[in-house]
Amino acid sequence: MALVRVKGVLDHVLDKNLQDLVRGIRNHKDTEGKYISECIEEIKQELKQESLVVKANAINKLVYLQMLGYDISWAGFNIVEVMSSPKFTFKRIGYLAASQSFHDGTDVIMLTTNLVRKDLNSTNTYDAGVALSSLSCFMTGDLAHDLANDIMVLMTSTKPYLRKKAVLLMYKVFLRFPDSLKPAFGRLKEKLEDPDPGVQSAAVNVICELARKNPQNYLSLAPLFFKLMTTSTNNWVLIKIIKLFGALIPLEPRLGKKLIEPLTNLIHSTSAMSLLYECINTVIAVLISISSGLQNHATSVQLCVQKLQILIEDSDQNLKYLGLLAMTKILKTHPKSVQAHKELIMQCLDDKDESIRLRALSLLYGMVSKKNLMEIVKKLIVHMEKAEGAHYRDELLSKIIGICSQNDYRFITNFEWYVSVLVELAAHKGMKPAQGRAIANQLLDVAIRVQQVRRFAARQMSLLLRNHTFDKQRGGGGSAGLVEVLYAAAWICGEFAVCLAGDEESEDARRATLEAMSLPYVLQLPGEVQAVFVHNQVKLYANLLLAESDAEERVALTTELLTRLEQFVHSEDLEVQERAVCAHQLLKCTAKALRQAAASKTAAIFDVGDVATEDGAGSTAEADGDAVIDRVAKELSGLFAGELNPVAPKAQRKVPLPEGLDLDAWINEPPAPPKSEFDEPVKRKSGKSSGRKKEPEAAVSATVGASASGATNYSSSDPTVAWGGASGGGFEQKEYH
Amino acid sequence: AMIKAILIFNNHGKPRLTKFYVHYAEDLQQQIIRETFQLVSKRDDNVCNFLEGGTLIGGQDYRLIYRHYATLYFVFCVDSSESELGILDLIQVFVETLDKSFENVCELDLIFHVDKVHSILNELVMGGMVLETNMSEILSRFEEQQKLEKSEAGFSTAPARAVSAVKDMNLPQKIKDMKMPDMPHFSSLYQ
Repeated sequence: MALVRVKGVLDHVLDKNLQDLVRGIRNHKDTEGKYISECIEEIKQELKQESLVVKANAINKLVYLQMLGYDISWAGFNIVEVMSSPKFTFKRIGYLAASQSFHDGTDVIMLTTNLVRKDLNSTNTYDAGVALSSLSCFMTGDLAHDLANDIMVLMTSTKPYLRKKAVLLMYKVFLRFPDSLKPAFGRLKEKLEDPDPGVQSAAVNVICELARKNPQNYLSLAPLFFKLMTTSTNNWVLIKIIKLFGALIPLEPRLGKKLIEPLTNLIHSTSAMSLLYECINTVIAVLISISSGLQNHATSVQLCVQKLQILIEDSDQNLKYLGLLAMTKILKTHPKSVQAHKELIMQCLDDKDESIRLRALSLLYGMVSKKNLMEIVKKLIVHMEKAEGAHYRDELLSKIIGICSQNDYRFITNFEWYVSVLVELAAHKGMKPAQGRAIANQLLDVAIRVQQVRRFAARQMSLLLRNHTFDKQRGGGGSAGLVEVLYAAAWICGEFAVCLAGDEESEDARRATLEAMSLPYVLQLPGEVQAVFVHNQVKLYANLLLAESDAEERVALTTELLTRLEQFVHSEDLEVQERAVCAHQLLKCTAKALRQAAASKTAAIFDVGDVATEDGAGSTAEADGDAVIDRVAKELSGLFAGELNPVAPKAQRKVPLPEGLDLDAWINEPPAPPKSEFDEPVKRKSGKSSGRKKEPEAAVSATVGASASGATNYSSSDPTVAWGGASGGGFEQKEYH
Repeated sequence: AMIKAILIFNNHGKPRLTKFYVHYAEDLQQQIIRETFQLVSKRDDNVCNFLEGGTLIGGQDYRLIYRHYATLYFVFCVDSSESELGILDLIQVFVETLDKSFENVCELDLIFHVDKVHSILNELVMGGMVLETNMSEILSRFEEQQKLEKSEAGFSTAPARAVSAVKDMNLPQKIKDMKMPDMPHFSSLYQ
């Protein structure tokens, strides 16, 4: 161990102070970590000294180091020592360190109770002041319990500075020690009319916070707040009260009606934008809560929208942002009023400020109409291409899908256009699975529900399968989102294979699609997606088989698919394996049947003998062979016949039970019960009249009943919830002196 | 708390004052500072001063409200019970109080006297709740406490003060630490 020269008292005068520390760190930019470690060692030595001066200096430095990310909890005891210094200069340092580093888990906090109490009751205003401020940062349940009285006393101190701080601190006490609220509330209410505006403000602040958590309990204070609102000139107080009213209005519509007038007056008279904005917000809240019927409504809505328009048009970006924020609230209940400002909001979509663009985006839902949907979506796609942040890009994508699909696609006039949009979106690089899934769901939904677009959709999906860039061989980076879209693509091609058949406009795409679905990259896809690929290959094949007339071709088709399916038969994923193996077996049978039929056809060509047929129609064996093949093909496609329609989640409930079906009747006679003490059948209110024995059920009911009666009551013990009414009557006011 | 945190950092993300009204371990605090800096420094100077919060300190109900003065960002992380414009004004009051207390405050003052900045802040915000918004009241409280400290500085600290004075005469360092240009003055915008 290196010997360190012990510093004498005078030497400590040369200790680094905060400024030296900071300077030193700045001069050691390259070796900062090492330098700071040395400084911490010095600090540790300094903390071993008797002198509070030295210790305080050390703690002051530690507070700085805490800001740089160093844990200083090891100095907890020393911090308490410095807090207890008789000199304000050092006391302040200790309390600052405590407020920065003490928390619920700090064990030295229990040592602070008495010293904090002493400071709270000190004749020196600022000793009490720092104690109050600092305590607000590390209040624990124990401290709240032990010091509640002392703080309550300070609420009536002769010094407004201390009254103000004590009032604010009581909120922290209430949070950790709910029982303290009842006795303190009367005094708190008195402070609402304290002559000092700072104290009044603090009281309003605390009550507003309490009311935010439990609005119901503070409704009775509404008249008092009303009075304050009309008499106060302090904007902060007004803002808090108006925000509070916003929270109370949903509970008491009559309050809302009374508020419209004074709020409207404030809107017209105030020059403070902050106050104006909060008034508008609360008026909006009133309008939302009141059911329509009042004539005044239209004018109030107009006034708000008009004022908000002024905000949005302001060059000050902050006002623009807040205007859009408030518009969003109006949108829900008065969409028409917002629509009038469509142009303005569209402009905001082009704003260079991302916060504003996001706000404008959320307004879009109400702005869209059949006429402007395509234009808006085009604009949004352009934004997506330019978007820098992933968050913004994801928002854009969700919004595009949101506005298009809202109200069952009410605003879409051209579904082919929508499918192309979805395909375009799917091509975006770096798309996340959630977005891919959203696009996939849309593709599926549209293809299933809109029959007319199936041909287009299926062809688009076929192209997607054949040309997409997921396959790493083709140079594309695999996008997790694209995988989800491929799921939809495969399904659509399989389900609507008939749409891929050749017609006047385009050639047959089925074979090419089938080939594309069994390329090697498919084995890299997640299990669920592969399973869909496998299954839909069979569907496509069945369709092709039916369409193909040449027997040899059919056999070839079958054997081709058989080979391709082999790569899936040994998949690790159970679903894929199961489907592949089933399909494989099915195809093997089919191939066998086809080959036999083809063979008998060929045989028949060389063997010209008459063969009597069952129906006696005199057809040749060749025709027989064809008939067999046709039947095989038909049966195979029969597996996939029928349209799959979307089913509403509540549909099952609407299905009536068939006649004569009793779901409660036993299917078989129950077995004889085992002998047990729970032989007594339990009495049932709605006893079904059947002779069945109930012993097994009785056993279950008895044990449940027993535990229910012995269970404890877990109702809330939070007095702020249980206590109803702040009128002051009904509970005791204890004196704490 | 209604104000979850108050952060001051410079254009390179170095913290100049950190006040968390909710407990976070130190490494998480540093992460929050870094993330907030990244969010805020990306912004142009003429966009709005409100940011939907980051992932670590933010959440549905929280917003970042910030102002950029020369080389420093003042960031308040607040919840929806606060008036956004009101908080912007509060930041302005805070900065103007610093300006009066340090006489044309600049970043260096905050760097070397962060304890004083804390003292001033404690007169504005207490436990995450707004305590006082009147600048002259805040200023006079702070000055009284400064006076109290000066009066306590008697014999025991005289040697230390003498040493400080000698250290302060370190001219090369003084030149190195030359004060930077004044911060622009803003008249109160919203009230």
